[in-house]
Amino acid sequence: MTETTRSTNLSQPIDDLDGAVVSPSDIGERLWRFFISMRTGLALILALVVLGLIGTLLVQAPVGLQADAQAYAAWIDSVRPKYGGWTGAFDMLGLFSVFNSIWFRGITVLLMTSVLACSVNRAPHLWKQATKPRTRMSDAFFDHAPLALATTTAARPEAAAEAVAATLRGRRFRTLVEGAGDTINVYADKNRWGPFGTVVAHLSLVVILTGALIGTAFGFRNEGLAVAVGSTADVGNETGLTVEARRFVDSYYPNGSPSDYASDLIVYRDGREVGAATVRVNEPMTVDGVTFYQSFFGPAASIRITGQDGDVVFDQGVPLQFGYGDGSRVAGQIVLADAGLTAYVVAPASGEVDPAIRPGQVQFEVYETATMADPVAVQTLSQGQAADVAGLDVTFVREHQYTGLIVARDPGAPFIWLGCFLLIAGTAVVFFFPSRRVWALVRPDRAGTSTVQVAAIVRHDVGFGAEFERMGEEIRVTIKSPPADEGKGTV
Amino acid sequence: MFKLSEYSFLAGVITVALAFGCYLLAFMSVAVTRRRSSFAGAGAGGGNISIGAEAGGTGLGTYGTLFTYLALTFLTAALIFRALATGHGPFANMYEFSIAFAWGTLAMFAYFEHRYHQRVLGLIALPIALALLLYATTVPAQFDPLVPALQNNLLLSVHVAVAIVAYGTFAVAFAAAVLYLLQTDAGRRGLPRRELLDEISYKAVMIGFPFLTLTIVLGAVWANVAWGRYWGWDPKETASLVTWLIYGAYLHARVVRGWRGERAAYLLLLGFTAVLFTYFGNLFFGGLHSYSGLNGN
Repeated sequence: MTETTRSTNLSQPIDDLDGAVVSPSDIGERLWRFFISMRTGLALILALVVLGLIGTLLVQAPVGLQADAQAYAAWIDSVRPKYGGWTGAFDMLGLFSVFNSIWFRGITVLLMTSVLACSVNRAPHLWKQATKPRTRMSDAFFDHAPLALATTTAARPEAAAEAVAATLRGRRFRTLVEGAGDTINVYADKNRWGPFGTVVAHLSLVVILTGALIGTAFGFRNEGLAVAVGSTADVGNETGLTVEARRFVDSYYPNGSPSDYASDLIVYRDGREVGAATVRVNEPMTVDGVTFYQSFFGPAASIRITGQDGDVVFDQGVPLQFGYGDGSRVAGQIVLADAGLTAYVVAPASGEVDPAIRPGQVQFEVYETATMADPVAVQTLSQGQAADVAGLDVTFVREHQYTGLIVARDPGAPFIWLGCFLLIAGTAVVFFFPSRRVWALVRPDRAGTSTVQVAAIVRHDVGFGAEFERMGEEIRVTIKSPPADEGKGTV
Repeated sequence: MFKLSEYSFLAGVITVALAFGCYLLAFMSVAVTRRRSSFAGAGAGGGNISIGAEAGGTGLGTYGTLFTYLALTFLTAALIFRALATGHGPFANMYEFSIAFAWGTLAMFAYFEHRYHQRVLGLIALPIALALLLYATTVPAQFDPLVPALQNNLLLSVHVAVAIVAYGTFAVAFAAAVLYLLQTDAGRRGLPRRELLDEISYKAVMIGFPFLTLTIVLGAVWANVAWGRYWGWDPKETASLVTWLIYGAYLHARVVRGWRGERAAYLLLLGFTAVLFTYFGNLFFGGLHSYSGLNGN
């Protein structure tokens, strides 16, 4: 290969890492070479492939479960029958949450470092190639280039060179013609900024990762905000927003499969309405950067509680969103902070028949918030009836539904979409607008004719070979009959 | 409309089978002819043959190509009729996906056959299409209305259509890689040169990779609209990322010394395995992409 290809070829394996003396600059140099090596990049990609496969083949623990040691231990026990003696080892290696594991994070960081290093290493070459291309090549290049042709013409060198350049321009190449005496060099290139697509595509990955990190650090995501119809709920997470569900409708096709879930939502800030929309699956609503998504739904009970002094201390729909007991019941929670009490509203789960709680009834259980030990009082309430439970006047006003929302704010999202755009644009440019370069050398020979040599390098540039051949044919034809007015050059 | 779609589909199955049969016979007769005449290696180094241009296979190979085009037409009709009947892109259950995947494979094979005149690719690509179509006959073809998560006609159509193009090109890359591994550096008679097969694979991935990237990005856009996050390590998401990484590795491997050639070809086999794994994955790994129509009720 020629000098030029060698200087731009970044795929050279680095294997001369056997210097005897190690100085800090040596280490820096070695690290640099390690990260700019395409072999390193390849190994890291393949390592991610392996982790990704593990992540698809092994059951993954629900996100965030590890924060709760007890729940996590229970989850591990639940998969133990499946993986037997391997369970402990898999768990220790973090394979049940591969994408949070040290392996995945470490390799991602290494890969991003490699991507950055390669881009930094490569960009100056590409810049030089695009702005100050090498226009002259050695004789050896024209003799040994992978794509090369030589021909002679009766035309004088200048006319022949111009004919070559014109042919190339006709194929939408940019041409630079330089003459030194009788020897004329023609350089032509096409899509010379194309190679920057690689840089853009690689850097886009860093942009996407940055977006993901920003989202994790500064965003929030609540997957389980249940709002009973007719009630409001705080969005929390320092948003200062509350959301009211005015209506929830679930519709079904005749075959029983769901056709639509829709919630009429109103969003308030400091009691002032700041947004309202019907939210469906695929149709979220965004208010002040906070997005509300339709996610799930279930039963709710409208409860009114009056204190001993006759004040209404609670009057809201309670979403029965938690599984209760052995799972045959569902429950919602009411916290009466002033009284130091916590109440559960319990009902049979959908489709369950419960001898203790009949249709149209809920069970009301009151606990001391401080201890949460045995209930202070348990009572079954029928719809529309008031009852005295632990000194509270409790009314089960009516049955309702709640709508389950995902509420999220992701300040990293713009980076994600920018990164995605750059990734697609970058790869499209690289593959659909490949950069191509051609050199030609024209000089007079002894017979009074001109020798024309045209050559190009093919560096993983598929399809150029055929084009080069067609181009060669065209050049052969053109230089036999160069444009007349171009033939006036002096010898 | 459903009837029309079904008839077109059956006609497509038959014509794909006929096309494959023609190619197979043409290839075998070429092989026989070649074995008989010791100097039949018209392509220098025993490479670069195209079935049908050879004495023994004239006609048969051409018929194979005609049947391929015919099959493509029938399957296009089947998909269009299906879309007209259901009112959405024909990509909502395993039956529809399978026809679309077969269509993508056929379309990309037809494109590369037209461009490189290597009908021998059909010996691998057509059985893939045929297998997908036969698979489609085993899954329920009935049309169920769309569940809420799928009710996004634009994204449903574009996300899957783009995936089909990517998968089709990867099938062609796979076919060329298989032939590459069967071929020797010296050149085995009857098979294209290794350089050409390498070029076909690479060209196919050059088209497929940006399309797969677009598929994943559109999937992220849709996930963000429907599920409130652009990425959630859902098994199908992860599997498609693994596929993307494998083809990314291939693109890099092709320019790393020691990885060019056979190892790169093996990566293409691995890549297409990952495509099939991702494609059939929702049958066994559940997750949010469980729209196969095979999960009961």
